[in-house]
Amino acid sequence: MAQSQFSPVDEYGFERQDDFDYESYEDFMSMYLKVLATRAQKWAALLGEGKSVKRTNTVKRYVRKGIPSEHRPLVWMAISEAEIMKEQQPDLYQKILDGPFEKELVDLVKTDLPRTFPDNIFFTKEANHQTHLFNILIAYAHNNRVVGYCQGLNYIAGLLLLATKSEEISFWLLKVLVENILPDYYTRTMDGLIVDIEVLSELVKSKVPDVHQHVINLGLPWAVITTKWFVCLFAEVLPIETVLRIWDCLFYEGSKILFRVCITLIKSNRGAIMACNDFTSLAECFKTIVKNASALHCHEFMQAIFKVPGTLSNSTITKLRARFAKQRREQQQKEPR
Amino acid sequence: MATNRTGGAQRPNGAPQTKVCQFKLVLLGESAVGKSSLVLRFVKGQFHEYQESTIGAAFLTQTVCLDDTTVKFEIWDTAGQERYHSLAPMYYRGAQAAIVVYDITNQDTFGRAKNWVKELQRQASPSIVIALAGNKSDLAAKRMVEFEEAQAYADENGLLFMETSAKTAMNVNDIFLAIANKLPKSESGGGAGGAGGARRLADGDTPRASSCCK
Repeated sequence: MAQSQFSPVDEYGFERQDDFDYESYEDFMSMYLKVLATRAQKWAALLGEGKSVKRTNTVKRYVRKGIPSEHRPLVWMAISEAEIMKEQQPDLYQKILDGPFEKELVDLVKTDLPRTFPDNIFFTKEANHQTHLFNILIAYAHNNRVVGYCQGLNYIAGLLLLATKSEEISFWLLKVLVENILPDYYTRTMDGLIVDIEVLSELVKSKVPDVHQHVINLGLPWAVITTKWFVCLFAEVLPIETVLRIWDCLFYEGSKILFRVCITLIKSNRGAIMACNDFTSLAECFKTIVKNASALHCHEFMQAIFKVPGTLSNSTITKLRARFAKQRREQQQKEPR
Repeated sequence: MATNRTGGAQRPNGAPQTKVCQFKLVLLGESAVGKSSLVLRFVKGQFHEYQESTIGAAFLTQTVCLDDTTVKFEIWDTAGQERYHSLAPMYYRGAQAAIVVYDITNQDTFGRAKNWVKELQRQASPSIVIALAGNKSDLAAKRMVEFEEAQAYADENGLLFMETSAKTAMNVNDIFLAIANKLPKSESGGGAGGAGGARRLADGDTPRASSCCK
C-alpha cells in the first residue's frame, strides 16, 4: 500500500478495512478539507455573534452545507429542538440513571454492547464507550416503555456518542429522533418503518419507474434492501462522514431527508441496477452502491440529494404515509396473524 | 461489481456435466445465538468473537459440491430480535431451506427455535428442508439444552439436527452439506421464488464455484 497521510483508524475511531482505498480517499479529502475550512469560518462567524442558533433560512442553508464536527452537539440540540425538551426536564437523564433497572431490559441492551462497532477503538472492552452506550440505551429504554430497546438504536446512539462525545446530549438527540423526527420505526410492531418502506417504493415507482419494475421483476422486495437504511438512518450503511452530513439535515428538516437519500442512491446508480440480470447480482449491487466513490464524496452527495430526486414535498409524504398506514390497518384486520 | 457468471467454456473437456442448482436458504433464531457467525464461518471461514448485530437481513452466497451436483446457496441471514419478526415472512417466503438456530447455553432460545419451526411448518413452502442448529457447542460447560432433548424434538418434527460451533467450525460445513444432500435436485421446479425444487441454471449460466471442488 502506498504511503498515506491517513492513519489506519479514522477520526471517529473506526479501523479502516484492508481494502480501504487510500488513494481515492486522499483525492476526496484534498478537496473536502478546503470546504471544511470555509464552512468552519462561516460557522464561527455565525456562532461568534453570541446568538443562539435559531431555525432560520440562513441556518438551514448552512446546515445543508455541513456543520463542523466541533459544533455538531450544540447545533444538533438547537435545530432539532432537543434543547427545548431538555429544558423542560433538566434532571431527567440523571434521575433515570439512578435506577432501578429492569433485568429484562438490562440483558437485552448488554447483549448488544460488544456487538456495536466492534471495529471501533472507542468501543473495545478496554475503552469506556460501552459503558456510556449502556447508560444511553438503558435510560432511553426506561424513559420510553413503548419503544424499550430496539436493535438498531445501538448504532444510532453509538454514532451520536462518537459525534458528540457526551452521554447526556446523545440521550436527548436519540429521544428527539425517535419521538419527534421519525415515525414509529422502533416500536414493537415497527409499523412506521413498514409504512415508510411502502412510501419509498411508491416514490421510486413514480420517479424511476424502470428501476422499480426491474427490481420487482428480479424478486427483491424493497424492504429487504432498505430496512437497515431506515432503521439505522444510514449508520453502518454509508461512509461515516456522509452519514453525519445526512444527520445534519435530518435534525433540521426531518425524516423527508431519508427519502431524498434513498432516491438519490437508487436514481444515481440506475445504470448499475438495470445491468443486474439476476437476484444475486442485484443484492450485491445494493451493497456496492452505498460504498462507492459517489457515496464517499459527501459534499457532492449532499448537493445531489437536493437535486437528483426532484420535487419531494412534505404533503406528498404525509399523504402517502396516511394511505399506506390505512392499507396496513385494513390488511391486519382481514388476516390476523 | 462482482458477477456470478462465467462462460460454460471453462468446463473441463470430456468431464461429465455437473448439474448446478441454486437454493434459497434462510437463517432464523433468537438474537445473539450465532446466526451471522455460522454464515461467516461457512462463507468466509472466519469467526469474530463479537459479531455485529444484524439489522434487517444480510445476504451472502456460497457454493458446495456434491458428487454430481453443484449447489449454490443464496443465504439470507436475518435479525433475531422479536420485533423484527413481522419482516421474517419476506425472507422465508420461497425459501427451499432454513436453518433454525438456538444457543445450547440458553433454554429460552431453544423455545424460540421451536416457535420458528412451527411457523415455518405452517407458513413456509411445504417442501422446505429445515435444519435445527444447536450453536455454541464449544461452551458445553454452560450447557442448558441437552443434546438428547433437541435430537428427540428434531426427530419428531423431521428436522435435520446438529450441534455446531461457529467458533471452532465444528459441524458448520456439515450442516450446510446435509441440507444440500437432502434438497431435491429435480430438473423442474419453480426457482427461488416458487415452492419446491431447485432453480436449475441454464447451460452457460454456471455460477463460479470458486470455493468448492477443492
